[in-house]
Amino acid sequence: MVREQGPFKLSHPWSGIAWGTVAVVFIVSFLLGFIVLGRFQVNGPKLGTWAAICRAIGLSADRDPANEPQPPLQTPTRIAWTQATLARIASGSEQHGEFVALNCTACHGDQGVSSSTLIPALAGMNSAVIYKQLDDYRSGKRLWGVMSAIASALSEQDSADVAVYFARRPDGLPPIAAEGAPEGGRSLRQRDPTIRLVFAGDPERGIPPCAACHGPGAQKLGAPALRGQHVAYLERQLAAFAQGMRQNDINQQMRVISHELKADEMHAVAVYYGVADGHE
Amino acid sequence: MNRSKGLAILHYWVAFATFLVAVLLGAWQMLMRSPLPAPLDDSATYYASVTLHGTAMAYVVTTFFTMGFGYAVAATSLGRAIRGMTAAWIGFGICLVGTLMAVGAILSGHASVLYTFYPPLLASGWYYGGAFLLIAGSMIWVVLMILNMRDWKRDNPGKPVPLPMFAITATAMLWAWAASGVLLELAAILLPRAFGWSDLIDAGLARTLFSVTLHAIVYFWLMPAYIAFYTLVPQAAGGRLYSDTMGRLTFIMFLIFSLPVGMHHLFMDPEHGSGFKFLQSALTFLVALPTLLTVFSICASLEIAGRVRGGRGLFGWIQALPWKEPMVLAVGLSLVMLGLGGFGGLINMSYAMNSMIHNTSWVTAHFHLIFGGAVVIMYFAIAYDMWPRITGTPLRSKALARTQLWLWFFGMLITTIPWHIAGLMGQPRRVAAFDYTDPLMSRMGPLVIISVIGGVILLSSAILLIVILVRSHFGERTAGEPMRYALAVNPPVRVPPALNGFGLWNAIVLVLMVLAYGYPIGQFFFLKPHSVPAVAETTLTDSGGRP
Repeated sequence: MVREQGPFKLSHPWSGIAWGTVAVVFIVSFLLGFIVLGRFQVNGPKLGTWAAICRAIGLSADRDPANEPQPPLQTPTRIAWTQATLARIASGSEQHGEFVALNCTACHGDQGVSSSTLIPALAGMNSAVIYKQLDDYRSGKRLWGVMSAIASALSEQDSADVAVYFARRPDGLPPIAAEGAPEGGRSLRQRDPTIRLVFAGDPERGIPPCAACHGPGAQKLGAPALRGQHVAYLERQLAAFAQGMRQNDINQQMRVISHELKADEMHAVAVYYGVADGHE
Repeated sequence: MNRSKGLAILHYWVAFATFLVAVLLGAWQMLMRSPLPAPLDDSATYYASVTLHGTAMAYVVTTFFTMGFGYAVAATSLGRAIRGMTAAWIGFGICLVGTLMAVGAILSGHASVLYTFYPPLLASGWYYGGAFLLIAGSMIWVVLMILNMRDWKRDNPGKPVPLPMFAITATAMLWAWAASGVLLELAAILLPRAFGWSDLIDAGLARTLFSVTLHAIVYFWLMPAYIAFYTLVPQAAGGRLYSDTMGRLTFIMFLIFSLPVGMHHLFMDPEHGSGFKFLQSALTFLVALPTLLTVFSICASLEIAGRVRGGRGLFGWIQALPWKEPMVLAVGLSLVMLGLGGFGGLINMSYAMNSMIHNTSWVTAHFHLIFGGAVVIMYFAIAYDMWPRITGTPLRSKALARTQLWLWFFGMLITTIPWHIAGLMGQPRRVAAFDYTDPLMSRMGPLVIISVIGGVILLSSAILLIVILVRSHFGERTAGEPMRYALAVNPPVRVPPALNGFGLWNAIVLVLMVLAYGYPIGQFFFLKPHSVPAVAETTLTDSGGRP
């Protein structure tokens, strides 16, 4: 009788074999479930033994977000259009700016109008735009030739001063406010595709009108006036945005829009806004 | 002896009468959730019907059938009258009262929580009370089985307990262990809330307690079929049981490995960590061992019978088997369904694969194929085998019985195979109505319609079953053959004490249960006490059936 021998007398072959088999099965399942599974079946780095056991009994069961590698945080620019930023730009000294601008004249011309079609005219450009681009060059958010080195040599105040200086140069880019939108331009029924693109955009491709930010007729803070800019420069910037070579548009709008534009459209828009060779 | 027979047959009648009603409900439910028009097209009625169908099939039919089978086996295999007849009748009465209470509550529309209760859904206290009485009443049967085996052993020292009695006692112990979970859930959580003694329900604890029951109960349903495999099938086939020891080992393994495994029903529950889920998933796989052992033993026993009957060659013995015997035909059909359903079950119990089919129609199809198919068809065969011996009136027509078995077999395959596929396509279970105009659902429409056809075949088979049993019951009485169980090829003369009792095995079960369930249940008392307000049935119906 089993009862006489007792279920726990392991010396008895049946008891020994039964308890032994059950123990082996249990231990193997336990090790797999509590050590191996708990340790390796996680997103991210393997857990230690203790952490694995805790996870296996449900004490830390996946309450945190998946610990997957994340790309480094990227911001298109350091500039935010806060009151402090605008106040700093507004406080810029045109007089000191003229001195700072001596760094610029070799490429951008005496009065802020360059002779090279790949180098933008600065005269008449909005001071906030110039200030932001200088900061982007300084922080590596925008890259172009010597501009990073030059911008790095400038203090924030220098940037504001030189921005104000160029913004007030005459004979460069005409102020946006002076020019209204052409009659009937803001219509999707406009026959000229370039004018339609500039003033009405292309809703099917999610392209807003260029003029909504860059004029004529309207301007958004941070968006440069384009009328009178070099064609080659404009076209090159559109291409750079489209290919992700230039990434310092705050809300990614220029990268999105340019990506949708075909090469001939980029050219047509640049031609519409700009002047082909030299400045008037 | 005769009084034991009357006891058994009354249990059988309650089981099969309930069965017919439940099949009718099932067929209507198939129609209701299909694209075809159904009478009484109403979601609230559907959920009440599913609750009644599940409660009837899972608790009433199985418990009454197994109790009746147990009394019949105890009386016939031990060759003496059952001791404790008064207690047995009291148990029968308690179970019947419980059944009526539960059924009444469901019909009143205040207990549409499905037979698995699904706390924090809250049903009428009558339903919980009825279920409690039904299950607790069956514990009297458990005690009687154990006492009868113990008394026989005391009166026959050193003799091996007959395999049928050994197996039915294993079944009784398995049921006692299994029922502990649901009885605790009812007594400690659901009934106090239904009576208004508490406001909240710890749903996680309740579900975990129910998982103790939820898998082992399936083996409680299965055991009569396995007992028939070992003790009735070889006899009906005209052969001998291949091995008595394998039979004992099989039932012992079922007792051990069907219990600490219920958490594979909780793979998606957030209260438990992955460790215990994996552990119980791994232990679940061991349940395949007694099943494979059984398939081997039964095939071997049938081969012995086939060769005794003159079968020759590698497969000639299969043809030589007496397929005209309902019991032999039933075991063939049952093994086919057990094989198909068993492989599906491997997917359900796998921790990772389960997530593909969790809460889809696949699961419903699986347990209908295993329980509704492989097991219930053996219940029919057992009834056809025992009815003449109990009532003394022979089965009127074995051909009609075979027709009934074939109808059930094909009906179940036609129902469950498309059901499996729809589940793989993502059809959720426990849903009353689908929008078949939806592109996702429209692909499943034809599959569901095929299932409905299967349901109608099943209903016709169930009606035929009752007709056969009634005809047999009221037929001409002849001298009934006594109940005979299969002899083993080497009949046991002396068996090791470990294979003649359950002390060792119950100790192992206890240790395994503490290891597998101690922490998962204990954590609710110390680490995660978390109760929620119950969702009463009335709040559901007031908002048009939607919570």
